[in-house]
Amino acid sequence: MPLQQGSARMRQRTVLLVGIVVLLAALVLAVVLASLLTHGRQEVSPKMLKWKDRGTTKNLQEVILGRCYNYITAQHPELGDKDCLKIWESLKDAFIYKNPCNITPEDYQPLMELASHPIPCNKSLFWSKTGDLVHRYTKSNQNFLTLEDTLLGYMADRISWCGDPSAPGINYESCPKRSECESNPGSVFWKMASKMFAEAACGVVQVMLNGSVEAGAFRSSSIFGSIEIFNLDPDKVSEVHIWLMQDIGGPQSESCSGHSIQRLISILEERNFKIICEDNYRPVQLLQCVHNPDHTDCRLCTNST
Amino acid sequence: KWKGEGTTRNLESIVIGRCYDYIRTVNPAVGEKNCSQIWEAFKNAFINKDPCRILPEDYELFINLTFHTIPPNKSLFWENNQLLVNSFADRGRRYMSLGDTLFGFIGDFLNWCGQADSPGLDYESCPTTMECENNAVESFWRMASITYAQHSSGVVHVLLNGSAHGGAYPQPGFFADYEIPNLQKDKISQIAIWVVDDIEGPDIDSCGTHTVKTLETRLETLGYDVTCTDNHK
Repeated sequence: MPLQQGSARMRQRTVLLVGIVVLLAALVLAVVLASLLTHGRQEVSPKMLKWKDRGTTKNLQEVILGRCYNYITAQHPELGDKDCLKIWESLKDAFIYKNPCNITPEDYQPLMELASHPIPCNKSLFWSKTGDLVHRYTKSNQNFLTLEDTLLGYMADRISWCGDPSAPGINYESCPKRSECESNPGSVFWKMASKMFAEAACGVVQVMLNGSVEAGAFRSSSIFGSIEIFNLDPDKVSEVHIWLMQDIGGPQSESCSGHSIQRLISILEERNFKIICEDNYRPVQLLQCVHNPDHTDCRLCTNST
Repeated sequence: KWKGEGTTRNLESIVIGRCYDYIRTVNPAVGEKNCSQIWEAFKNAFINKDPCRILPEDYELFINLTFHTIPPNKSLFWENNQLLVNSFADRGRRYMSLGDTLFGFIGDFLNWCGQADSPGLDYESCPTTMECENNAVESFWRMASITYAQHSSGVVHVLLNGSAHGGAYPQPGFFADYEIPNLQKDKISQIAIWVVDDIEGPDIDSCGTHTVKTLETRLETLGYDVTCTDNHK
């Protein structure tokens, strides 16, 4: 009897051993096959496209969400009904997994609708080639709003984003420059946002231009010159005030009587706007004077006043 | 319950967002920071705690995680003139005020306090400093001011409001109580005081008079080289 039990146990053990060996072999085979297949897939799938401008800002989602909540909670509580999560999702959907040279205004339509808000009359402040100065001005004088002081502009200012057809759908390495393709996510965004900002303006609007730029204070190729002035609504906007600012101690390339300004004035008058142009609008000039206190233009009392 | 405004809604998203905004767009020179960790450290200073028992030291980990050096000659202290300071400092490019540092940037214009019960934050109301001194926001700014002063060096600037009722140099005040005592004498070459009046405002205080004189004397007694300018252009 013990001999029979012994041989049965041995057979059991052998079966067990063979079973384990077969399982191990199958496992090894599976691992080898899997690595071969994925390796093959990696060689076949396209890598991300390479562009000349900086890539998507890292932590884009956190920055956008934080800015959105910051804007509606801490700065503009009257916009409390805005859904920041939805706004972020609509921005992401506009460009993720898409070829960054194929972006259309329709891609941004949901975002524009979710994030737009009315602008009080007489407060719209447009600008061209005066980015630093105009934003220092609106930061210290909350009576005026540039596009970058609206929710849309505030969220998008100084950051970049673009997608790519391959995973993860966002390109953090590089994004297309305008010279590489015009229908890129950034350019399309700013064109649409600028158009809507102009359409929303009412009453008296202001524009800050740079009288120290060689190429002229007003240029038809700028967003202001190509999009904003043509989207001001003559039924809502009554007057356009131009503030022509020259750098303190800088070149006085152009003033209100200059060529490009005359061209701007004629374009606007043709659309039935009343125009007033002021050289070196004093409240803004005082801000420039903070950094040039000893210049003659920054004397407290001037003979001309 | 308390007399002050409650905790700002979406505080977590705002704090984390501001943290990334700062390191990615405002001042990338500070390098990588772990913003989730920073939020945790900030929150743990006051969440689920008695809102009247928060001390500056409770923010020590937060300060350690958000710390970065302040460039010499760029420190700008101020009292009663925040808008002017912002346009003068030019977002940290010309001067770096406390609000232009990462730790100051995160907390600016926000409000917060904890409570013992869930969810641990009180969104309805928070104690004012009159109700209790050791509240979350007051202790935050004390800690931030102390740190900012300790790491300032070179020529240090102080912007005071000559039109402020009660004087340009308020006592008690953050500058008087938390910043001056924490300035490092061996790192500071000069203290330049600017007294600026509001446009068309009253000229209540100026260099050499009233509270400004008190400040000048105090700093000189401490051994600092002090200059003072009125309505610095």
